Amino acid sequence: MDSQGQTTSLQRLQNVEKRIVKVLELAGGVMDELASPVGPRKDVVQNHCLEFMQLIKDIQVALRDEIKSACEYRPFEKCDYGSRIANEICHKKVEFIMSQLDAIKQTVDEYHVAV
Amino acid sequence: MDDGMQLQISLDKLPIKRLDSIEENGIERFPPDVDYDEKRLSLIRRIDFAWAVEKDEEKKKKQKSSKETSTPWQWQGMVENLQLAHQELSVIIDLINTVEANDAVTVASMTRPKLLPNEALSDLAVSAATKLQCYRHVGKYFKQSAKAFEQQVAREARFYGALIRLQQNWKVKRQRQAAIVPGNEGFTFDLFDNSYDQAAIIRSLSMSTVRVNHDAAGNLAINVSPDLCHSLQFGFVGAQSDDTRRKSNQNKSHFSGELNLGKTGEESLSDEECVKKTHSLLREVHEAIFNEQVFDLVNREAFNTVAGVSVTGIRENYLQLSLGQETSVYLTLVSNSQDHSTVEGELTDNAENAILPLESSDGMKREAKQNTSNKGQFSNSICYEIYIQQIFHEYIFGKGGDKPSSSGNRLSGIQAKDGSSLLGHFFKSLAHRIFSTKVLAELENVVCKVPYIQLISNPTWHSRASSWTLYMEVPQSILRGSQTKTSDYYEKNAVKRQFWTKVVVNDDCINVKAEGSPNVAGLFKGKIEETHSINKYNCNLADLPVIILQQVASQIINWLYQEAMMVGIKANRDFLCLSLELEQGETLGLVASVDPEDSEGCISWWLVMEDSFAEEQKLHMSITDGASEYRKFLGHLSLDLLYATLIDLVSLCSGGGSQ
Repeated sequence: MDSQGQTTSLQRLQNVEKRIVKVLELAGGVMDELASPVGPRKDVVQNHCLEFMQLIKDIQVALRDEIKSACEYRPFEKCDYGSRIANEICHKKVEFIMSQLDAIKQTVDEYHVAV
Repeated sequence: MDDGMQLQISLDKLPIKRLDSIEENGIERFPPDVDYDEKRLSLIRRIDFAWAVEKDEEKKKKQKSSKETSTPWQWQGMVENLQLAHQELSVIIDLINTVEANDAVTVASMTRPKLLPNEALSDLAVSAATKLQCYRHVGKYFKQSAKAFEQQVAREARFYGALIRLQQNWKVKRQRQAAIVPGNEGFTFDLFDNSYDQAAIIRSLSMSTVRVNHDAAGNLAINVSPDLCHSLQFGFVGAQSDDTRRKSNQNKSHFSGELNLGKTGEESLSDEECVKKTHSLLREVHEAIFNEQVFDLVNREAFNTVAGVSVTGIRENYLQLSLGQETSVYLTLVSNSQDHSTVEGELTDNAENAILPLESSDGMKREAKQNTSNKGQFSNSICYEIYIQQIFHEYIFGKGGDKPSSSGNRLSGIQAKDGSSLLGHFFKSLAHRIFSTKVLAELENVVCKVPYIQLISNPTWHSRASSWTLYMEVPQSILRGSQTKTSDYYEKNAVKRQFWTKVVVNDDCINVKAEGSPNVAGLFKGKIEETHSINKYNCNLADLPVIILQQVASQIINWLYQEAMMVGIKANRDFLCLSLELEQGETLGLVASVDPEDSEGCISWWLVMEDSFAEEQKLHMSITDGASEYRKFLGHLSLDLLYATLIDLVSLCSGGGSQ
């Protein structure tokens, strides 16, 4: 399983989806164990059921938190769009300076060729 | 069997009843007692028909007996048939009753065999097997559901994985209403910054929200129209070569983008490439939004009265401003997907409009000069474009922090003032750059013609101030080593060999500072004179070359003066003249002449002899050759030649002294 350090809502919801897949697999495992010709192994069934209930609990908790956080939605107060535009402007400056330096180098080369 | 027998008895009663009703033709029914009816039946079967008729006659009236007498033959046949029918019906009813009895017996007996242990065991086995089969089916169903759901999660992970990565850089929002639409999860990228001035939204609001879609392969896709993305272009009216170069670059990058799109269509697009492509598109849209806002702000503030700037042309995405009689600039938004030919057409139109002012200029020379200066201006149009973006970027995003703390009225006042001064500041900087380019052209022109002057640029780190230094270094004196005493004396006071002239331009004001030289003669003779002189002038562009050349010539005169004083010759100096006195009272003068238009050297030298006696002057003036003897043109001299000339003059003065 992934670590609990995710920060984005989409990542947490994706983990919920993975848990749902795991839950279905556990249910299938329990059914296979019950359908065993030699009879179900109690410890295996018990472990599967425990894990099943634990995952259901985790899913429920995660979804509840997501619903709660969705209600507490805030606008992006620390947006870095301004800094990003500043980076684009600096990028243009660097490109301009490089073009100027290339022109100077070309002039120097032409001077050397003339001499 | 006894129960079966009882049932049979109950069944036999029914046909008897029917028989009675049939016999009497429905006229009467006998109220039946079972035993009584049975007895009658047995009696009827045993006794002949005539006896039965007789009994009936006894019971019935005579009229009835007459009817019975009339139909005894027909009744006899019918009675026989009916009796046969009754027998058959009774047989059938008995069969039905037997079958029912058997069923009851079967049902009763079926419950009893289950009590046997073998049957019970088999039933349990069947039910257990059924349960196990059901469990297997449910297990298979769950596992298939798990696999299908896992595949769905994996397929959606391509979309949501890309969205998660893009969320690290962009604001992602979701519209809940749009969940119904297939292929659209309702997500949008919000490219709008909340710290903006709200009034700036209007123009770029439509493109600040980018919708997120699924494509056929399940990858994240955004639909951005290239027509909506504009790039800001700043240029000078009439300039074409530089813009063409820039246009070709943009078209090249756009074309490469199209190639990438083609490749992605052919190949299966990897998640990494999908995220990169989407991120690049979002960056372009974001930058286009900023360009729209800058253009909008410039338009708004251009119509406030900015000193020296007037609006001469305006369209939806085009703004043309005039900074003066000679310079017009335009600011335009060009679509990234616009064709190259269309752009060329627009530029041609602008060029045609710009030709008229040039044609109205006076002379070819002036026109050529303007073309030269314009060439310098136009090559920096990209620089001005970047500068205007930076100015308004600081204005737009710098106000975000102040907005919550200040009041509304104060904020609006500050914004209005700053906005006006921002554009004014930009155009003042632009005018300064244009003017300083002209100044630099003049200085370069002078420095190219005078070989012993060097031009040094001094960065001022200020957008409206420029500074240069004209530097001259004179050759070292060869007389220093010959005289030991003089050398020792003057080493204490080192002779200055470097001279500088500073040119400073603030906005459109030129200041010239020229450094003089220490007065060695004063120190030598004990006279108190100014040891360091600074000349300062305010001048305009036309006078600049003359003033600079005069300063340089004056510095040369100073140098020659102090060299003459080292030798001990009595000398005087004016601004542009060095005078040497002879013993006979004559004065020999070395004079500098300054002409900026002179392509050979700009500074030329004359040797002039003046006689203090009026008589000889009158006598010499009468002779035509006398003029040439009094003034002699030396031509353009290098510093070494000037020094050699000085040495010759010094020798002449010494010879005169000895004579």
